[in-house]
Amino acid sequence: MSDNSRVRVSIVGVVIVALFASLFARLWFLQMGPEQKLGQPVSSLGTRVIQTESPRGEILDRNGKVLAQDVAAWAVTVDRNLSEKARDRVLGQLSEVLGIKETTLLANYESNRQSPLMPAVVALRVPLAQQLAIREHREAYPGVNVTELTIRAYPYDGLASQLLGYVGGVDALDPKTFKQLEAKGYQTGDLIGRSGVEAAYESQLRGTPRKVTVQVDPTGRQVGAPINIDPGTVGNNVRLTIDIRVQRAAERALAEGILAARNEQDITTAKTGYTKLKATGGSVVVLDVHNGSVLAMADYPTYPLSWWVGGISTDHYTQLSNAAAQNPLLNRATDGQYAPGSTFKLVPALALNQYNVFGASNYYDDKGSLSFGGSTFKNDNNTVNGPVNLQKALTVSSDVYFYQAGLDFWNIGNVDPNRGLGIQHMAADLGFGKTTGIEVGDAVGRIPDPAWRTAYAKANYKTAEEVRQNSIWYPKDNIFAAVGQGDDFVTPLQLVNAYACFANATANGGRGTLWTPHLGQSVSNPVTRKTVETYTPKPIGNVTIDPYVLSQISAGFNGVISDPKGTAYEAFKGLPVAVAGKTGTAQIPGKGPTSLFASYFPIDNPQYAVIAVVEQAGHGAQIAAPIVRQVIESITSPNLPPTPIPTVVPGAKD
Amino acid sequence: MTTLAASPSRRRAASATSFLAHVDVALLALPLAISALGLVMIFDASRYETARGGLSRLYYVERQGAAVAIGVIAMTIVMAIDYRRIRDAWGLVYFAILPLLAGVVVLGRNHNGAQAWFQVGPFQFQPSEIAKIVVILAIAGYCHQHRGDLDAWRVAVAIGLAGLVMAIVYAQHDLGTMLVIMVCAAAVLVIAGLKPVHIVVLLLLGASLVGAAVVTGKVQAYQLDRLTNFANQSTSHLSAHDQTPTQLNLSASKAAISSGGFGGAGFGQGLRTKNGFVPEQHTDFIFTAVGEDLGFVGGAALLLLYSLLAWRLWRIALLSSDFFGTLVAIGVLAMFAIQIFENVGMTMGIMPITGIPLPFMSYGGSAVIASFVAVGLVRIEHARRFS
Repeated sequence: MSDNSRVRVSIVGVVIVALFASLFARLWFLQMGPEQKLGQPVSSLGTRVIQTESPRGEILDRNGKVLAQDVAAWAVTVDRNLSEKARDRVLGQLSEVLGIKETTLLANYESNRQSPLMPAVVALRVPLAQQLAIREHREAYPGVNVTELTIRAYPYDGLASQLLGYVGGVDALDPKTFKQLEAKGYQTGDLIGRSGVEAAYESQLRGTPRKVTVQVDPTGRQVGAPINIDPGTVGNNVRLTIDIRVQRAAERALAEGILAARNEQDITTAKTGYTKLKATGGSVVVLDVHNGSVLAMADYPTYPLSWWVGGISTDHYTQLSNAAAQNPLLNRATDGQYAPGSTFKLVPALALNQYNVFGASNYYDDKGSLSFGGSTFKNDNNTVNGPVNLQKALTVSSDVYFYQAGLDFWNIGNVDPNRGLGIQHMAADLGFGKTTGIEVGDAVGRIPDPAWRTAYAKANYKTAEEVRQNSIWYPKDNIFAAVGQGDDFVTPLQLVNAYACFANATANGGRGTLWTPHLGQSVSNPVTRKTVETYTPKPIGNVTIDPYVLSQISAGFNGVISDPKGTAYEAFKGLPVAVAGKTGTAQIPGKGPTSLFASYFPIDNPQYAVIAVVEQAGHGAQIAAPIVRQVIESITSPNLPPTPIPTVVPGAKD
Repeated sequence: MTTLAASPSRRRAASATSFLAHVDVALLALPLAISALGLVMIFDASRYETARGGLSRLYYVERQGAAVAIGVIAMTIVMAIDYRRIRDAWGLVYFAILPLLAGVVVLGRNHNGAQAWFQVGPFQFQPSEIAKIVVILAIAGYCHQHRGDLDAWRVAVAIGLAGLVMAIVYAQHDLGTMLVIMVCAAAVLVIAGLKPVHIVVLLLLGASLVGAAVVTGKVQAYQLDRLTNFANQSTSHLSAHDQTPTQLNLSASKAAISSGGFGGAGFGQGLRTKNGFVPEQHTDFIFTAVGEDLGFVGGAALLLLYSLLAWRLWRIALLSSDFFGTLVAIGVLAMFAIQIFENVGMTMGIMPITGIPLPFMSYGGSAVIASFVAVGLVRIEHARRFS
């Protein structure tokens, strides 16, 4: 080695000695010297409470099957303070290691359903191997974290979505609501039930958050061990009255019915050309007639709740919100308002007898139409039914019989205004025109009467003369009200609840109870496994029906299914259980008719009431009745395959 | 060039007489001792991480243990190879690493990413760790070939050898490793006889390159954030919310070390280590676990071990009878010294934060294996001196 090299090696040695010396010196300063205070609890310690949500309670069906639960999931999050370039690069790296498309990761990052204040969740349910690959190379993933999140999981994903409802971040709510929630202990990033059972039972499901009180130095960092830990409590479990087996059958039947309807001609437009039924949506509800508990509440169109988990993607959000999707978020059973058509005839049938207008045993000659004051009101398909009593009028669905009822009440109204509103009173007694009180909330509906007509005119017309003219309650108004057309609007839940009331009257010698429909059965503490709260059925009111009238109406409903002239005879042919039901076909201006079928069974000792309502789907016998048949089969013979929805029902009417 | 036919007899003779007889026991013992401490401290520093990740408490320790074992085996193999064959085959070694290095870049390019490792079963192999040693060998071999005759052209070739590897490593966004390679190459070149005028020119060139990179935005924002932050550390007026991740990293790191005091909190007792306050603590910030739990006594002892290691390497560089041997020893010495200084320095706030591991201590298989291989290379020069 040359001397020059020796000198240079020596110089390297000196440099290295200097480097090590500075490390020693720095270590001394940091640990023993002036900067030692860095690590010591400083005198002006503040406290900070770190609050984290406790797991949300489970939602179970009546048999204890879990419908919604909190599960732990590993998520990859990306900080929001990265530059666009750095973010794209890190998403590229993540795409590589996670095997998820970069565009998907970016869509998750940008999803407007995620809190802008929290790191963005770009991937959920990340397998261990991938978590480790990221963790072991933290330096390659600036701003990326692997964290354990609690997410909502749905073992029966896709079923009962509208009824269960979704959970979302409180941040997504409007600022005013958020302020109110903050006062109740919610904080940014917390989840809250936004609809359905999740929202209705929020206070039970949420539990109380875990609060850890720590001391912090002026820079906000924790010093020492936590000084107080409030472990919080896990949310309570809510058991529903829903039977997921029946729910599944109902959703399946509804979907099959709707798809069948879309293959059939819309005969209301037959004169202008060939169009198919649109069948844009529908609903099925199954009630226990003895206490109002809901066994199934199906809606179509529907979607899987898992779309919301971890923030909904833009793609999915579009699928839920665009007009063509027909609002899958809407719970049509409680919030869809439909003209009930002939299913409403239960109301005038009872009113005619309750107010002594026309006896159930009396015959009325149905000539196929009723002319009055220059207008003619016709039967569907211009059928002439001949002499009909109440029973037969229901079985063959004579419109003229009930047009006459509407007209009779109108005439009585000229003498006795209160008695003249017998149909409206009866409707109110059966729960129409007001909310049912179900936990998830529902629409009011509307049963028109003169007072409503006047209020409507006042609200919509300006001059006194216009208001006066439009305030008049014409005979046709009462005639339409009697057959569930015109301004009548009911929710599927109101309608099925009215039939449930009638059904329990048949089992109780004419004394019917209108129950509050309900979804909750009991609430229990998941830790102690003790029941905290049990739902007691709440009556809304009572209806007393003359036993003879009741038997006549009941026989009329039975005839709908068992009499070859019954409107739903074809749809129920061969069903071993005796069912009472009523078809309905509501004409909607500019749209296809609403197909309805309301029923209860078994006819002698009713247990369940079932309704199907399908928008723009033709006759009640055509689509709604076969759907109800499938649902009934799922309850009475759960192990047999359901009867397929017929593609064309011969001679379908009403 | 040494022929293959001549070597077996020589090697047998060498292993019989000098393989063990001339082992520098200290040079072998020091990495093993530091690795043992490393395993213990990885256990300490990864407890929070493993608990949070639902992993076995020994997850990282086991994997690091396996890497140490592989490293020792690799070192032994390297020691058994006649160093003259390595010296003469530097070109082969150099060109073998290039496709590996470039491979990760190309694979990463598909997704706009820049992954710096290959997935080999459950392990990840990071070629840039080996690249550091290859650059040392290549420049040492080249300069040995042209010793005493290092004109401007040859200096340029030597710099080109390092520069190519540095460019690929830079493409993997591994700024830290690139700088380590630069320091190693510089150290070898200086000892190899770089003329003072060349040194001045190169310094000016390097400074203007760094300036250009920052001005044109070729340095990522987070990299710049890390580089500038160590110069601006008075963040105490900021709440945790207002600090950049780097500032938080740095203050957490300093607070952990500082809280250790003279004797430390005791193994497993340090609150900041126990509660996972220091990010990446079992990898890049392992020194903070030593500082907090073992205090000044532990930290100084570890630095002393490193000093001894540096001293043994420096001694071999000075005593080596072979020019190549000197150059390799200096390269390895520079590599360890800059990594130790940078890593420990960053945890204490006197160097910018980069992703450079602490040799033999930080969790990371490729780095551990590469470090042992580096020691194996140096040990041969020392042994040969006596043969």
